[in-house]
Amino acid sequence: MDPFATLGLPREYALDSEALERRYRDLQRALHPDKHVNATPTERRVALGKAVEVNEAYRVLKDDVRRAESLLALLGYVAKGEVADPELLMEVMELREALSEAKQVKSLPRVHKLASQVQALAATTRRELAAKLAELPADATIDVLGVPAALLSQLKYYKRFLDEVNVIEDDAPTWTKAD
Amino acid sequence: MALLQISDPGARPTPIGIDLGTTNSLVAYVPLVGAPTTVRDCDNEALVPSVVSYKDDGSVIVGRAAKALAIERPRDTISSIKRMMGRGADDPETQRLAPYRFATREGAVVKIAVAGDRVVTPIEVSAEILRELYQLAEDALGSVGGAVITVPAYFDDAQRQATRDAGRLAGLEVLRLLNEPTAAALAYGLDSKQNGTFAVYDLGGGTFDVTILQLDDGVFQVRSTGGDSQLGGDDMDRTLAEQMIASLTDEASKTDPSTVRALMDGARALKHALTDSEAVEYEIELPRGGVLEARVTRDDFDELVRPLLDRTGIACRRALRDAGLTTTDLDGVILVGGSTRVPYVRKYVAKLFGKEPLDSIDPDQVVALGAAIQADLLAGSSHNEQVLLLDVLPLSLGIEAMGGVVEKILPRNTPIPAAAAQVFTTYAENQTGFELHVVQGERETAEACRSLARFQLRGIPPMPAGLARLEVRFEVDADGLLHVSAKELTTGISQVVEVKPSYGLSDEEVERMLLDAYDHAETDVTVRALIEQRVEAERIIVATRLALDQDAALIDEAERAEIEAKLASVIEATRGENHHVIASRIEELDHVSRNFAGLRMDRSIKKALAGQRLSDVERDTAHAEGIDRHLGPQKDDSE
Repeated sequence: MDPFATLGLPREYALDSEALERRYRDLQRALHPDKHVNATPTERRVALGKAVEVNEAYRVLKDDVRRAESLLALLGYVAKGEVADPELLMEVMELREALSEAKQVKSLPRVHKLASQVQALAATTRRELAAKLAELPADATIDVLGVPAALLSQLKYYKRFLDEVNVIEDDAPTWTKAD
Repeated sequence: MALLQISDPGARPTPIGIDLGTTNSLVAYVPLVGAPTTVRDCDNEALVPSVVSYKDDGSVIVGRAAKALAIERPRDTISSIKRMMGRGADDPETQRLAPYRFATREGAVVKIAVAGDRVVTPIEVSAEILRELYQLAEDALGSVGGAVITVPAYFDDAQRQATRDAGRLAGLEVLRLLNEPTAAALAYGLDSKQNGTFAVYDLGGGTFDVTILQLDDGVFQVRSTGGDSQLGGDDMDRTLAEQMIASLTDEASKTDPSTVRALMDGARALKHALTDSEAVEYEIELPRGGVLEARVTRDDFDELVRPLLDRTGIACRRALRDAGLTTTDLDGVILVGGSTRVPYVRKYVAKLFGKEPLDSIDPDQVVALGAAIQADLLAGSSHNEQVLLLDVLPLSLGIEAMGGVVEKILPRNTPIPAAAAQVFTTYAENQTGFELHVVQGERETAEACRSLARFQLRGIPPMPAGLARLEVRFEVDADGLLHVSAKELTTGISQVVEVKPSYGLSDEEVERMLLDAYDHAETDVTVRALIEQRVEAERIIVATRLALDQDAALIDEAERAEIEAKLASVIEATRGENHHVIASRIEELDHVSRNFAGLRMDRSIKKALAGQRLSDVERDTAHAEGIDRHLGPQKDDSE
């Protein structure tokens, strides 16, 4: 599936989010099941399938990681089980350890400090990734794609870390009170 | 004779919207001319207490009359049944302070023994309430069309299924399950014609929802939703009642059902009194003799309910984060649900979101009014053609993987309808079956999530281990309900999916209840099936003719002739008495018009994308006009 084509947007990483939202709404106005209650069962089924596809494409394009993944896949990139940079792995491991320590001693300020540290790292990586993807030639070969692919996997590590922070933040109100 | 009525275009049945609440329920509709309105009973009351009382002679009483029986017959008078919808009998929540005779302490479905030697499930109790509302609407409107029933946005699949089943059992055609906050936003949005981003804070009798949604030229797009399907005004009453119970000196009273009920009612009355007064002195007559006297101030009460509101605060902050927004991005906060009348709730919400909440529409009625608008839209009779609701999946769907870990298939806040497919393989030689455990929730282990169903996949052709490739497709429809199908990819054979719901009733059990409701009359069921099939055929005939009139140019003469021929055979079948024949002719028509339907849909997609470019132009023009106004002050002066 090409989510860019589904939503009629140019196949590029830079996203005009206003255009995305408008396209999405206009397509759902035409396809959503509520607009086909009086249609034949065949048409309802076809419309439903398309509405699902538009929802999925919208979800992919809205998420910067999934958008990059989809773009790389459309350009022909196939992950071959590349081993992540040992330095990055070390960095992420240390961050995770610090996070689980902060969680253990129930220190929300420490969790927040780590979160903003990783947010900054993620932002830098995202900028680099955007730059690399923007300068890709139309006939990009697999070996050129290796660099953005590595940046993408780095971004994923940070995102996963930040997801964990969210879970801790959700739990926090219960543990601060317990103490 | 009923058949004639159905095909008579003059007697259009009115679609209705139902708010099936924990404490009170309402039914509303959109009149031919004018604003949506709630149906009122002979006492001019719109609120029907969600209370059902079972009498010894087998009769059933619903509403205010039932509520009046609560203290006298605490075990046979069921209230707040919504809290037990789609829950297991073993769920401690269902038994908390409920004075009922539970027929079982374990298993998938709550069963309550009531007078008249009956055992009822929450679905049946809810169906009694829906039947009452249906009757109320029919008395007021003459003929009732389909119904939109609202559910808390945070209801999971089992709770939604149970609500839908209750609707079917009550004899309603359920057009849609609509999320309560979305319904409220619809009522407000169409009222104010305002664009922007809003938070809907919905604290009802037994459920709490928060929804962040964006309103843009008639499109109501839910960005995120959160909440707690076990938190509401009931809990405020319980907390206060628990305090009163603890203060009783007579030990036996503390567990006496009538006393518990009397104190719960007393607590609720106190809560209401504290809305307008700073302090209330009270005297509650105890059913086992004696009087409980005390005084409670608003500050005491606020202190008591603060922990409950803090739980709503957590859900609100998470919903904002999921939407990628902060409170400053919000244009307004809408209050919904009777419990938002509590002054402390208003204060809390204003502080949480940093703005005064909107409450111009009665918080008790707004959900039913929104449901009526949606019912009207779905019935296709509305003038609001631009209006569209885009909702999301409230809780992540996943399957249990090795080691009891949950593998997420669709994360929470995914726009619906949605679908996801997962490919599995066999692990044993010649394995022909497969079991899948589907769960819903945000926790990492299947055990901590809500178990929805176990699926048995059968009929995989015998193959060496790891060779069969089984694709399981999960689809969530616009009601938020899950459907599962499976296919073996190497052979292309569709698999039989046997659903064993972990909670709630199986389809067969609901069918049986429906049969029971029709007094076991086989003929009634056949007649009903024929009527339904004819109505369906009628709809398809009209829709197909319209499509051919509009778009015959998309297909060639031969294809058109084929569709026309099958259409004629459907028309012929509707004159017969056999609903099976009608169904199979519809199926044939469906088969030959697939290509046509696809072409029509592709064209509307092209139109939608092209229309977009048109509105870009309009927007640019509007922008330019705005600049022109600034450039031309003379023109403004001359006005």
